[in-house]
Amino acid sequence: MILEVDADVRRRGGFRLRASLRVEAPRVALVGPSGGGKTTLLDVIAGIERGRVVLDGDDLSRLPLHRRSIGYVMQDAPLFPHLTVRRNLAYGPRAGGIGEIAERLGIAHLLDRMPRNLSGGERRRAVLARALASRPRLLLLDEPFAGLDEARRREAMSLLTALGDVPTVLVSHSPAEVLGLAERAVRLEKGAIVAEGPSASLLRAGETGIDNLLVARVIGPSRVVAGSVEIAVRLPEGASGAVRLACYAHDVILAREAPRAISARNVFPAVVRELADAGGDVLATLEDPPLRALLTADAARDLALAPGARVFAIVKSTSIGCLGAA
Amino acid sequence: MTSSVLLSLWVGALATLLALPFAVLFGLVLARSRAPWATALQALVWLPLVLPPAVTGYLLLGLLGPRRPLGSLLARVGVPVAFDRLGAIVAAAVVGFPLLVMFLVLALRAVDPRLAVVSRSCGRGPVATFVRVTLPLAWPGILAGAVLAFARALGEFGATIVLAGNIPGRTDTISLRIYDLYTQVGREGEIAGLVAASIAIAVACVVLAQALDRRHRRRLEVEP
Repeated sequence: MILEVDADVRRRGGFRLRASLRVEAPRVALVGPSGGGKTTLLDVIAGIERGRVVLDGDDLSRLPLHRRSIGYVMQDAPLFPHLTVRRNLAYGPRAGGIGEIAERLGIAHLLDRMPRNLSGGERRRAVLARALASRPRLLLLDEPFAGLDEARRREAMSLLTALGDVPTVLVSHSPAEVLGLAERAVRLEKGAIVAEGPSASLLRAGETGIDNLLVARVIGPSRVVAGSVEIAVRLPEGASGAVRLACYAHDVILAREAPRAISARNVFPAVVRELADAGGDVLATLEDPPLRALLTADAARDLALAPGARVFAIVKSTSIGCLGAA
Repeated sequence: MTSSVLLSLWVGALATLLALPFAVLFGLVLARSRAPWATALQALVWLPLVLPPAVTGYLLLGLLGPRRPLGSLLARVGVPVAFDRLGAIVAAAVVGFPLLVMFLVLALRAVDPRLAVVSRSCGRGPVATFVRVTLPLAWPGILAGAVLAFARALGEFGATIVLAGNIPGRTDTISLRIYDLYTQVGREGEIAGLVAASIAIAVACVVLAQALDRRHRRRLEVEP
């Protein structure tokens, strides 16, 4: 996809987005702090706000949003409450392939339910399925996994990567999502584009959040090596070569003594390099392997953590997500 | 007595049907716009609710009276309004109109505006979006308003007697009939019957409106 956008939008409350963008990638992420203009930029692309939008050489600027063939999954987008899941999916005039899409998103058994009888995660998937069923030429996703628990989030991400070739513009706060889903990223701050580039470099340049991102080499059906450390991880079928792994810092447990008879598959001896305040919690950065662990201030005190302290980092293999080939 | 009750139901029903399309139009505009002119329009819509009904009737007579351009034109083409049954219907429609619009605005505003955006991003135009999403979701609320407007129309007296007169068999709805009988001796039995019928209809309307309102809320309370 080649997407060009020129926008100058004023919103109530004095916010103004001035952005001129040309990006070429199958999937693009919009990153940056809240209030930076990411959602406004999506609104421009969707046709809710004015602006010049050219997609693969077609000027969509003058088309109203229902003629743009752009699937817009707003943050917390609602389902049509008066229609069954099936009729939600079949809502658009071009809707089709509902059975297959529902199957792929794991909601085939829910098709005859009313939205009020779905859980939060099921609704998210139904909303995504509805956008896909209308066969959009471009998919806009605004924080599609916010509010999902870790397992659901990882599951939803793998679903999205399985969607294949629908060009996507994604707004996300999670570096893991951005790296896993988008080849290029655009950084917006205070209503202006401040950077554009490969998502990995853009994330490294900006604040990377508190997630762990590793590149590792596959050495077995569920084993990889990163640096000098061997990691047990659940890999997608047929994974080989180099893969990108992600793990939330709050999924990393620290211990002062080597745990025995523990279900977690990964226990790494490591050294604390630095401790930083993370909104009242403590973010510990370890050396060898380079992992970040998020723990409460109380826990950090009880363990008497300090730079140079020897610890054991414990990570369940199910807490490590594989984001695909590196 | 029966004829007055039936006439009231008939007038009330036609008045509601007559007011509904206009109310939808006004409701749509008022539900979406907060511009100063919309506030002025809102005030205009509310006027029949706060004006003495006799004044409303008098103003309507000024528009639709037999010697007025519009009134005489309608009479010439065979639909006389003033001092006829249609007058009772128009009077009841105008007086019930604010209630109807009020409920419509509430019902339309209660529909999540994001649903319209979702509908359009799925490829449905504004009209299809209204017909497929907004209207079905607002419908029970609109019906609840219609039932109450109907009940209000049944009780219409002041505007009706000014615009339509009190013509036995043509415009003597329950209210006008009671007014008629009340001055006569020995008609208490018929009055009691009319009163009982009125109470029964009013209670039925309120119960129905509440049931519709509950249904409306249930429908919308889907997304927590």
